This record gives sequence, C-alpha cells and structure tokens, in this order.
Amino acid sequence: MLYRWTRDLHLYGGLFLSPFLLVFAVSVFFLNHGKVAPGQWMSVETVQNVQVPVDIDRVQGQEAIAAGQTIMRQVGVDGEIGFTRFVRQTRHFIFPVSKPGMEASIDVDVGARAAIVSRRQTGLWERVAYLHKMPGPHNVAIRGNWPPTNAWRVFADLTVYLALFITISGIYLWWAIRAERRAGVVLLSAGFLTIVGCVVVLFH
Amino acid sequence: MWGVSLSSSTRVLETWNRKLHFYLGLYFVFFLWLFSLTGLMLNHGQWLVSLAANARVETRYDRAIALPVGSTDMDRVRDVMRQLGLVGEIEGVSRQPGSLQFSVNRPSGSSQVKVNLEELHASVQPFENSHLSRFRNLHTFSGSRYNQPASERDWGLTTVWVFAMDAVAAGVVVMILGSYLMWWRLKAKRRLGLVVLLAGVVACGWFVSGWF
Repeated sequence: MLYRWTRDLHLYGGLFLSPFLLVFAVSVFFLNHGKVAPGQWMSVETVQNVQVPVDIDRVQGQEAIAAGQTIMRQVGVDGEIGFTRFVRQTRHFIFPVSKPGMEASIDVDVGARAAIVSRRQTGLWERVAYLHKMPGPHNVAIRGNWPPTNAWRVFADLTVYLALFITISGIYLWWAIRAERRAGVVLLSAGFLTIVGCVVVLFH
Repeated sequence: MWGVSLSSSTRVLETWNRKLHFYLGLYFVFFLWLFSLTGLMLNHGQWLVSLAANARVETRYDRAIALPVGSTDMDRVRDVMRQLGLVGEIEGVSRQPGSLQFSVNRPSGSSQVKVNLEELHASVQPFENSHLSRFRNLHTFSGSRYNQPASERDWGLTTVWVFAMDAVAAGVVVMILGSYLMWWRLKAKRRLGLVVLLAGVVACGWFVSGWF
C-alpha cells in the first residue's frame, strides 16, 4: 500500500514538477557558459511631462519602489524594479526594470520632468536564466515588488520541496527492488564521495 | 521475425532507460539536495539560516612585493597573486596610474587587493566566509557571469565545479525525458499523468512566456 502510494505520488509529482526542473536544469548551461552584451538597447524613447512624486529625492526602500512604479505606469513599462538610485548632482532618478522577455532602464530627469526609457528584448535563454535567479539573494527588502515575482517565488519553493520529495521517494522505490540494491549502493556511495571531495576542496 | 526483434530491442531500451533513471538519480541525489537547500537559502535571505550565513571575518595586511611582471594586467595580477599566495577567481581588475586593484574570490572567501606599483607594496583585505556561506556559495560559484562578457574562469577548481554543475543539469534532463517514456508505457496512468503534466507545462510556460 505504502509502496503503491509512494510510486504514484513520485510519478504524478514528478510529471508536474518536470517543466520547472527542466527550466532550472537547462538554464544552468546558459548561466555557466552563455554571454550577452549588456546595455545594447533595442529602443530608446523620451517621455515628456512625467508626473514625478515630490519627495523622490528623499524616498528609500518601498517608498522609492512606489515612486518608481508611479513613473512606470506613465511610461508604459511593467516588471520587477531591481533597485533605485537618486543622483543628487544631476537630480536624476534611475532604476532598472526586468521581467522574462524584457529588460529596461528608466532615467528620469526630475527637473525637466522627462524620462528616458531604454528597452531590450531578451531571448529564451535569458528568460530561463532570469527565472533561475529570481527572486535571489539581493535587495531582499524590495524584492517581489512585481506580483509575478512573488508568484514565481512560490513555484520556485514548490520546485525545491517537490524535488526533495521526489528524490527521497525515489530512494525508497529503488530500495524495494532487491536486484538493484548492490549497483545502487555503489552509485549512491560514488555520488556521496564525489560531492564530499568537491566540497572539501572548494571549502578551503 | 522483424516484430520479435523490434519488441526485443524496445524491451532492452526500456530496461536500460529505467536503470539509467535511478542510477543517475542515485549518483546525483546529494548534488540535488545541495542545490535544493542552497536555492532555498538564496531565495529566503530573511531566514535565520540565511542571516547566519552572512557572517564573515574581515582582516587586513600589507606586504612588500616585487614589481609585477607580465605583458597584460591579467598577467601582472597573476604574478601578484603568486607572490601573495592567493588562489581563486579573479574579478574587478582595474588599473589606475601607479596602482592595480583586483579581487580574488573562492567559496570560502575573497581578498580585495590594492597594489601600489610605485612603492611596491600590496594592501590585502581578506574576507573569510562562514561554513554556511561557503555552502550557499556553491550554488552560484561558476566564475562567469552571462551579462559580463569579459568575465572568464581562471581557476582550475572552478572549471571542475562547473563541470559537476553541468553534469547534474544534464543528468536531470536525461532523467526527465526518460521518465516521460516510462510513464507513457503505463496505459492506466496516462490520462491523469497528462492532466498533471499539462498543469505543470501551463504554470511554468506562463512564467517563461512573459505573458503577464
């Protein structure tokens, strides 16, 4: 009974998980070996008469994100704000925005109430790499300022928890096949020694 | 005769596909756990375990060096590293008149080096990471960033680790494709399996497509 339930959950859980695992696995090759030239914008446009929040030179954290989103709605850009920066010397409010398939940089000249919007489309490799890295460890306080990023966070976590279940249930299912125990133990041990070797060497 | 042969070869293929599925899974299971747990740590910076991983020990020392030799800045950086006994991935090389700056990174920590080429001494600021931080860094330690075309791997151990990461990724892809074949052979499980797989494809495809 336990075996049958475990086998079915391993199968159906694995089938649901498989597209997500493929995204994480395939993107590894691009993250490790791919290269793109940054700053090669495909379009640059200037939007005039932008309503700039009055305290934009002082806001920080979530308030700065809210100010950025106010500007994004006016210039027609949607996505996750990476960070915000106010340059006091030039009175420019600058922030990058990204989402799967698009990267943008918005440079607001506060005095002139004009925004320069630079955009770049990203291909499939960059999309999956973007998802692999999201939400990530940087700027935790403002990460998830775009709802789909928070939704992806849930699925990224689910991928991990399901992967843990799939691997543990897989070990149980393998152990039930007596004829494969010896070969399996050899491979499990070989994998353990390989990772211990890598970790020991890289830890020092 | 042909039918028997085809059936026999199909059976052999299916047997080996099944074996490959759990052989690859067993070999890579510890790697999968490592990347799963470090992935959680990276995505949840507010967790206590992630906050604990941020601890590091900073020190500083100065040392006299010989004039770095080499025809390029990278050659000179490698010569300085040799003199200081530093190993790891080189990043952020910048050359100003009379000075050379760079950092050397490893999962265990990094060193920021400022070389005064006129007075021939180096100021080194090493950061020693906690064990949890080293563990977390294994997830991202590839020595290359796709949005920085100039970044290259220059430490042998990074290349070994990247090979391991690629092998895990390739193993996962092979296991998944093989699992589709095994599932499809179970006629009784096809319908529900198709529903579950399509749910996964739609949910994942929604994010990859960027249609929001």
